Amino acid sequence: MKASGPGGAGRGILWRRLVADDGPGRLLFYLPAVFMTVFFLVPLGLTLVWSVFERTMFWMKPGFTLAAYGDFFLSGRIDSFLNSVQSGLATVALAFALGFPIAVFVRRSLPPAAQHKAVLLFILPFMISEVIRLFALRPVLGRNGIINDALIGSGLIDAPLDWLIFTPTGVVIGEVLSFLPFMVFCGFLAMEGVPDYVFELCSDLGSGVVRTFVRVIVPLAAPGIFAATLFIFVNSLGLFLVPDLLGGPGAANAGTLVVNAISALDFPLAMAIAAVMVAMMIVLLLIGHRLFDITRILQPYR
Amino acid sequence: MTVQESAARTRPVPAVEAEGIAKNYGSVTALKPTSFAIPAGSYFVLLGPSGGGKTTTLRMIAGLIRPTGGRVRINGADVTDLPADRRDTSMVFQGAALFPHMTVEQNVAYGLTLRRLPRDRIRSEALEMLKLVGLAGFERRRPHELSGGQQQRVQLARALVLKTSVILLDEPLAALDAQLRRDMCFELKHIQESVGITFVHVTHNQEEAMTVADEIALIADGELVERGTPEHMYETPERRFTAGFIGENTLLDGIIHGHGQEARLVIAEGLEIPLPNAPVGEGRPASVSIKSEDFRLAPEAVDAVSAPVEVVDVFYLGFSTVMHVRLPDGRPATVRSTTGALPTRFRSGDRAVLSWRPEAVRLHLA
Ligand SMILES: Nc1ncnc2c1ncn2[C@@H]1O[C@H](COP(=O)(O)OP(=O)(O)OP(=O)(O)O)[C@@H](O)[C@H]1O
Ligand SMILES: [Mg+2]
Repeated sequence: MKASGPGGAGRGILWRRLVADDGPGRLLFYLPAVFMTVFFLVPLGLTLVWSVFERTMFWMKPGFTLAAYGDFFLSGRIDSFLNSVQSGLATVALAFALGFPIAVFVRRSLPPAAQHKAVLLFILPFMISEVIRLFALRPVLGRNGIINDALIGSGLIDAPLDWLIFTPTGVVIGEVLSFLPFMVFCGFLAMEGVPDYVFELCSDLGSGVVRTFVRVIVPLAAPGIFAATLFIFVNSLGLFLVPDLLGGPGAANAGTLVVNAISALDFPLAMAIAAVMVAMMIVLLLIGHRLFDITRILQPYR
Repeated sequence: MTVQESAARTRPVPAVEAEGIAKNYGSVTALKPTSFAIPAGSYFVLLGPSGGGKTTTLRMIAGLIRPTGGRVRINGADVTDLPADRRDTSMVFQGAALFPHMTVEQNVAYGLTLRRLPRDRIRSEALEMLKLVGLAGFERRRPHELSGGQQQRVQLARALVLKTSVILLDEPLAALDAQLRRDMCFELKHIQESVGITFVHVTHNQEEAMTVADEIALIADGELVERGTPEHMYETPERRFTAGFIGENTLLDGIIHGHGQEARLVIAEGLEIPLPNAPVGEGRPASVSIKSEDFRLAPEAVDAVSAPVEVVDVFYLGFSTVMHVRLPDGRPATVRSTTGALPTRFRSGDRAVLSWRPEAVRLHLA
């Protein structure tokens, strides 16, 4: 053990006195709560409150009206919204199907020293601006893009596939590609909750790959998978860049709807859409928490 | 008794047969080519120091590791190329290797559900096994709600329920405290006897090995050093290593001098151990071992062979007392005596005479 000098000890005592149960420093522990209140709870509350305010020419005035909700639910907007829910679900499913096996592979088949490097490789794309990343997909997915060239060149198809970009499919492809790293990363962390012995156990019991995956790995990694899934789903609804850049004319998700409402100075509508999204997320969180204790994300089974 | 039955009696097929199995990891040799046969229905223990190759041996039998050479046969059938689940074995892993998200019953039943048996049959068999291992009433609990000993029982039930003819156990009791370990040993033995199938049990704990084993194989440095019944390993070990590992023996190395009645092991000047009719020639290096309880420490010689010693340490353990003494040339020896049988209470620094019967000396040529 290291002997602490007089200065170190003095600092220690001062610090302890400061943060003692009755010291003034105990308030420090409330800082996170203050932060959360100012930056999350208040905006959330305002979102709800403003969503029922009455619209004025340039802003809104206090009042209570469900007009904004009517504007959302009783117009074409709800169709765009539901479409984006649909492509969000497709994105989540594809990201899971592609990303989670990669995470399992990294955990199971790479030596420990290589694992973190491999995961870092998957996170690197996050360092590049989303706009650039998505824009760079155009020369890949376009009519004369790399993929079509390769497919035609290899004689697999005669005419270029024109649904790879500027279509709802293009949106899903773009979203999967931008969120895949997140699934790999979360999946990798989630595999922490899957002890190594279960794989040997399964091979001794004769549980096949699929069965082991469904009955053992997924349930054990469920909290992490759920976290990744929720994050991807919510972002696929909210990030308007993807439909903007890859969706073609008229493509919209919830994010696009909000942005459009704001550009049209219809703030209550923007708030109402946001409120619906928040409500949806809370419901999903509650369902997730009921199905598998989400607190296990931080503390896997002992 | 039919003719076939009596034929089977005379030449029973071993439950497990290893023929020259070996394992290398690159340049590391985990197990040198090793052969052994484990009789069906016996409790076989692989005992040895850490890193000796016990787990490697067990996993090659299980099919979890592919041997680099040799063949494995289970009940006479060559299974070397079969995966773990196609072998008539099931494994109890070290630590509590259970599915943490399943209940006790689901854990036990999982292997059966893979075999597509009817539901109520799976359930009744799982419950029956839980009863056998003393866990009736625990079926709804999850692994983290059980003690370490209970978790190991669940593992045992999970292995037993598959009704394989061999159960492989890798340090099943290592995580348990001494008392519980002892109780579980008795229980393992009882269960093995009542079920009547072959158990192969890996441990580095000799007391555990002696308690459960019909036969012990001592494995060290990637080699099967010696095998035999617990009595053999304790009373008449052949190899020097066995005498050093099992029991509490004093080992003395020297050179054989003389022959016939005159043969003796010269350990140092003035320290010779008579070995009448030793089956080796003059000049050969050899070792002898003497069990600590075969020594007698007294103020003067009380047995045929003796040597003056100095008492170094005395440990009073209640029923017995252990004394470390120094032979004339400084070599240590260990004496254990029932406390009541000691002529006086020795203290460290005392001079005394260590004596033993000639029959207590065991010769090791390797
Ligand atoms: N995957 C591996 N790669 C390289 N060497 C290994 C590997 N597995 C085991 N070994 C080596 O093989 C030798 C035997 O290992 P093994 O696990 O069989 O020992 P053990 O007798 O079971 O020891 P313990 O009592 O510590 O469990 C050891 O020296 C070990 O370092
Ligand atoms: Mg081992």
